[in-house]
Amino acid sequence: MFPHLQGPYSFLFGRFTLDAIPYANPIIQFAFAFSAVAALLIVVPVLYYKKIPYLFREWLTTVDHKKIGIMYIILGLVMMFRGFVDGMMIRTQQVMADGPNSAGHLEATHGYLPPSHFDQIYSSHGTLMIIFAATPILTGLGNIIVPLQIGARDMAFPTMNAISLWLTAVGAMLVMASLFIGDFSTAGWVGLIPLTELDFSPSTGVDYWMWAIQISSVGTTLNAINVIATIVAMRAPGMRWDRLPIFTWTTLSTSIIGLTSFPILGVALALLGADRYLGTHFYTAGHGGDLMLYTNLFWIWGHPEVYFLVLPAFGILSEVVPAFSEKPLFGYITMVAATFAIAGISWLVWLHHFFTMGAGPKVNSFFSVATMVVGIPTGVKVFNWLFTLYRGRITFATPMLWACGGLFLLLIGGLTGMMLAIPAINYTVHNSVFVIAHFHCMVLLIVYAAFAAVSFWFPKVFGFSLDERSGKYFFWTFALGTILVFTAMFGLGFMGETRRLDYLYNTKWFPALVIEEVGIGFYTLSCVFFFYMLYVSIRDRAKNIASSDPWGTARTLEWLTHSPVPFYNFAVTPQVSSRDELTYRYLNNAAATAPAHYEAIHMPKNTPVPIIIGAFAFGFGFGLTWRIWWLTGLSLLGIIAVVIYRSFNRDDGYHLSAETMAELESRPPLGVIAESQFLSRSDPHHLIPAKVH
Amino acid sequence: MSEPETNPILHGEVQQASLLGYTAGFFATLALLGAALLLTEFHVMPPTYLLGSIAGLALLALLCQTFLSFGLDITRHNIWKSVSLVLTIPLFILTIGLTVWMFQQLAINTMIPGANIMPGMTMQPTMLQ
Amino acid sequence: MDDQRVRGELPPLWNYGHETHDMIATKTLGFWLYMLSDALLFAGLFAAYGVLDHSMNAAGGPTEAQIVHPVAAFWQTIAVVTSVFCYSLATVALKHGYRQLVVLGILAAMLLGAVFIALEIADFADLYAHGATPQVSGFLSAYFVLIATHGLHMAFGLLWLFVMLIQVIRLGLTAPVVAQLLNLRLFWQFQSAVWVCVYVFVYLKGAI
Repeated sequence: MFPHLQGPYSFLFGRFTLDAIPYANPIIQFAFAFSAVAALLIVVPVLYYKKIPYLFREWLTTVDHKKIGIMYIILGLVMMFRGFVDGMMIRTQQVMADGPNSAGHLEATHGYLPPSHFDQIYSSHGTLMIIFAATPILTGLGNIIVPLQIGARDMAFPTMNAISLWLTAVGAMLVMASLFIGDFSTAGWVGLIPLTELDFSPSTGVDYWMWAIQISSVGTTLNAINVIATIVAMRAPGMRWDRLPIFTWTTLSTSIIGLTSFPILGVALALLGADRYLGTHFYTAGHGGDLMLYTNLFWIWGHPEVYFLVLPAFGILSEVVPAFSEKPLFGYITMVAATFAIAGISWLVWLHHFFTMGAGPKVNSFFSVATMVVGIPTGVKVFNWLFTLYRGRITFATPMLWACGGLFLLLIGGLTGMMLAIPAINYTVHNSVFVIAHFHCMVLLIVYAAFAAVSFWFPKVFGFSLDERSGKYFFWTFALGTILVFTAMFGLGFMGETRRLDYLYNTKWFPALVIEEVGIGFYTLSCVFFFYMLYVSIRDRAKNIASSDPWGTARTLEWLTHSPVPFYNFAVTPQVSSRDELTYRYLNNAAATAPAHYEAIHMPKNTPVPIIIGAFAFGFGFGLTWRIWWLTGLSLLGIIAVVIYRSFNRDDGYHLSAETMAELESRPPLGVIAESQFLSRSDPHHLIPAKVH
Repeated sequence: MSEPETNPILHGEVQQASLLGYTAGFFATLALLGAALLLTEFHVMPPTYLLGSIAGLALLALLCQTFLSFGLDITRHNIWKSVSLVLTIPLFILTIGLTVWMFQQLAINTMIPGANIMPGMTMQPTMLQ
Repeated sequence: MDDQRVRGELPPLWNYGHETHDMIATKTLGFWLYMLSDALLFAGLFAAYGVLDHSMNAAGGPTEAQIVHPVAAFWQTIAVVTSVFCYSLATVALKHGYRQLVVLGILAAMLLGAVFIALEIADFADLYAHGATPQVSGFLSAYFVLIATHGLHMAFGLLWLFVMLIQVIRLGLTAPVVAQLLNLRLFWQFQSAVWVCVYVFVYLKGAI
């Protein structure tokens, strides 16, 4: 009745044997050495300076939304780096394996990666970048910024916030584990059916992929609930809906998409899991299964997912562009309307990922028109940003460079997307690298927006600025890499190169592939500049202390806090009187007005429950992957037990008295820079207020 | 964050529990589903109309549950629940409806003509046939 | 706001006394949002069922008409709807603060929930005995997984009812306990709503 598993099996270790560890693979050896060195570089100083209790107390058990957001972003950046290495390997393999006369190295007939290894690399590239790099970075940004923008002290459910973080981290750890224990899925980040069925992928690769995504999806859904509840219930007094900053609006819209679409992904993967673990026939080619059912269910999630990623990026652009044009955002109401229009229509377009399935002209036309309609609100947004820039006092600081670069990418990605929305064109370029170039323009827009956000809000969160010069080198090398790789790729798509090829048969493609490889070289150089920027910024942090408004031109409520933001955010909850509250206060000479007195506040308490649940979740995922049933069962019981235990022992947090608040607010470094917090504004007369108060 | 002095039982959401509402919801659900069962068991209409009728009865039962059991309305306590439900229902319908339509069209386009795929549904000729 | 600016006065910049907020309302809103995501989980399962319930998906095994028994399933309907009613009565008792009646209502809901699950297991056992297992065909896979997912929700609900029983007895009607009881009410009522859809679109539709 249950499916037959290939390979050895024992009760204690499931399918795991020592043969599952790829000792002999030189690429894995190198990856292991690299990871080991990187890990030691972090672990050794922590042990040397005896920081384990500090780490446990302040970071691993924290429920502070800012620390959780920072950890999300660190996780995302590390996974982005690994995803980038995967991308570099893909590009290098393709340029080396062009044509029947291309040489083979290591164990490959052409290039240096044998096909199954290459397949795992593009699968992990996609999975890591979308689920474990972009999502955590954007979630982390939302975590840090949204409560500050609405004047709240923390998220609605601080403990659940931490649980979401650890579940996402567990998913990432499962993907990392697949590098050294067993292998990863070879079926793409999408999970091409029927390749993902047990008959065709008998190893544990697909299981790793499946459980990594399932576990982190639970975290994402919980985070969506948290964000919506926070924005609905915890706004500061006076923060009416028409005064809400745009980044908060887009995060709300994103969370609605996340809440409603992630369950469908859960179903799609759970049914695949039923096929692989219980021998059912949801997606099998015989016995009454339906292959396209998987594709359908996956993309019902998959399309809203890309809007889940891009809407916060739009929100970031809507914060950065006004700040560096010294003007309010043009068309606030149309921006909000466009955001929700995009979110709503995004639910109607998913079949454009598989026009070629053959559902016929009626179905294809409906989804094609819907896809084109979604371009209209997107166009509204682009024009609003352009009108914001028009006649503004533009400063090209690093965040603004990233934002403007993102606008260019949106234009190209959006136009090529409109091309792909037409089934006639789609039939000719489906599954070619034209599609890859299109969506990379869009995901790079998200990455550019993420770097804009990180450089924009870094001084606020950490209290010192990033080095501008090396930041600009980072940007320009990254942008040059983008142009080289993806312009060539659009061309290759028209020339007929299909996706996911470990060996390319057409030598006419070689020049374009070389251009792409040069582009990857620039990306690698930009990585170097990124690390250099971090090093210089941290080294010189004492010289670059940030005031509350380090850019001098910020407009929204979060810039009213001290830099770095104290753990309680605002000492006294602000009363909001206007959209762009900070600009309003500047105009009324009230920006530096501190509260006259303080009162006691209530803060949530740190707890080890989230990380314990995370540990059990890792056991659950690992046990399921390797079919170690006792581990799976015990982990599940552990999670249930911890949840029940916590429901009996609800912790109400602790209070900080008014005297403590007064003391905290006057203590250096806050005290020292408190007076100079708002002196960086040199020209208050140029302030342009938002139109509605 | 908490209000230690106030009695939680006095909270609006606890006080909204209504004996009359719950009883009405209970009987309404059973009656409507019982009616649907009787319609089906005695085959009182042709299949398409029968399907429509029981779907309508199901919808009524869900509405009764929404208003009588869940007690959703637009008071301050419930408005966000009502708004979020109203926004979610179209997604529920679209997910199922567009999927079923899509696969029905796919079957017409790709399955062998004459094969008895869906008893009770007649084939619509495409431009190719 | 504008008049104050014209008069030269500013509205207050800081808001004191805002430290408390309605925790119970926030918790139930959060739980309701989770319920909506659960609704979409069922939407996905119904979509899968809608694709796989045709005769070609029976692959030679039993078809929909052959395995659904609407009259037998009506007993399950009575069980779940009455269980939800009993729990709803428990929350009416909560409204008046009658702790004993709350306990009684939870017990009745648990009992009827257990009856529901027992009936469902009996139905599955009957199908297994006739050789109709999920591994036979795509249609049976969809049928079993849809029904079993609802059943699993009911089982978790039973566990939660049991935990709340203990909490009400041991901790009394404190704010966290009350918030949990309200969340459980949303969850349990939702199970009845999903069952309406399951009953009509699986059991009745299959028998047409």
